[in-house]
Amino acid sequence: MDFPSTQFVSSQTMATYEPIHQIGMWGENFKSISNPNISASVIVDVVNKLENESETTSHEMLASSSKHDQEASKPFDKIQRRLAQNREAARKSRLRKKAYVQQLENSRLKLIQLEQELERSRQQQGLYVGGGLDTGHLGISGAVNSGIAAFELGYERWMEERNKQICELRSALNAQISDIELRILVESGMSHYFELFRMKSSVAKADVFYVMSGKWKTSAERFFSWIGGFRPSELLKVLVPQIDPLTDQQILDVCNLKQSCQQAEDALSQGMEKLRETVSATLASDQMGQGIYVPQVAMAMEKLEALVRFVNQADHLRQQTLQQMSYILTTRQAARGLLALGEYIQRLQALSTLWANHPRKPA
Amino acid sequence: MAAAGGVRSRLHNFLEGADIGGGRRLVITGCKTSLKKLVVENAVIVFGRRGCCMCHVVNRLLLGLGVNPAVCEVDEEKEEAVLNELSIVNGGGIQFPAVFVGGKLFGGLDRVMSTHITGELVPILKEAGALWL
Repeated sequence: MDFPSTQFVSSQTMATYEPIHQIGMWGENFKSISNPNISASVIVDVVNKLENESETTSHEMLASSSKHDQEASKPFDKIQRRLAQNREAARKSRLRKKAYVQQLENSRLKLIQLEQELERSRQQQGLYVGGGLDTGHLGISGAVNSGIAAFELGYERWMEERNKQICELRSALNAQISDIELRILVESGMSHYFELFRMKSSVAKADVFYVMSGKWKTSAERFFSWIGGFRPSELLKVLVPQIDPLTDQQILDVCNLKQSCQQAEDALSQGMEKLRETVSATLASDQMGQGIYVPQVAMAMEKLEALVRFVNQADHLRQQTLQQMSYILTTRQAARGLLALGEYIQRLQALSTLWANHPRKPA
Repeated sequence: MAAAGGVRSRLHNFLEGADIGGGRRLVITGCKTSLKKLVVENAVIVFGRRGCCMCHVVNRLLLGLGVNPAVCEVDEEKEEAVLNELSIVNGGGIQFPAVFVGGKLFGGLDRVMSTHITGELVPILKEAGALWL
């Protein structure tokens, strides 16, 4: 039962008469009832109903009726207080609504994220490595984590194998074995790198940011990282002095290769810059100040899918560069090149360890 | 850091707004545009989705070599139609970005990258008349 406040206020002086006044209204509704005997009991029922339904107002009615006896002054204050309470209640209601809507939008965003991870986990089936992994708390994103865990395990094995190959190369070059035997070592060294690119391609589908961050590498390696791995032209700069002596033709070929790498790297870098601009523009489009606007985030996510292609292209470039070097160089030179590359990375890793452990000056 | 023609492409960007990575922008105006004609008339032409970053990479690379490729940005609605028509022109499947050199399909970003590393790309471009140095 809604009593308009003005009407309530005006009836304060007749508080005790209010029910009768209302019954009067109801009484009109019952005019059509021709049985006078019933109408009395109906009226009583209506009074009870009125008193039950109007919770606070009947309370206030009683309260105000007693207060009315005590203080005939300050009806104005009561109006102000009531208005203030209404404003307060309305404000709180608006805040609650806003919080609820915000929560809904967040839940929706989370739902989209979960669906994405679920989709990725379906693609990841077959990559999951059991045993030794705590699956208790993985949940839905566990499939992505297991893709990453599988990669990390694989990478550890890959590193062990690579270190073994470096030792073999070192002793083979010192022992002056035949070119044919050396060729076998070179070939297995090359395919070992190609294997890494395949592994990276797989995990990039699960979590491209993992590959981009270079988290699986040591800190010094990460320092030199470019789109999830080494920069081919930098690699050439490191390796070529180690492979001396080179023929004039070889020097020319290597210079051309270095220039081609740089051009390709520049093109990819500029493409990455364009991708950043595109994602940023998508996220910032439309109104700001409306909370997390889910369509913009979903659209930006679509654009970000291109990042996987960049990682693949960068690895493709690395592979092509290694391949081309193996064509330009003789078997012996290629073996020395692979050894130099392996040792260089080992030194980077040693640098990372040294850096992590060296005592620092207190701040 | 900027590729050859850096100043020109900055001005190009400023005037054009959207950055396609350089090159001459072509616009497909409905079905009347003959894609075959475009392919034949241009020494190098790149077809790609509007705003595609991979297309941007191809263009930057070609521009860096001194090539001035024609660039055809395809809207999403027209994508399928363009792909179909290009497949007919080529006689086979097409994917974006698609690079045509000397009137024939050359390939996508993969092929452009590999041939560039092996050194095959520049002679092919010269032969098609896209490069004169």
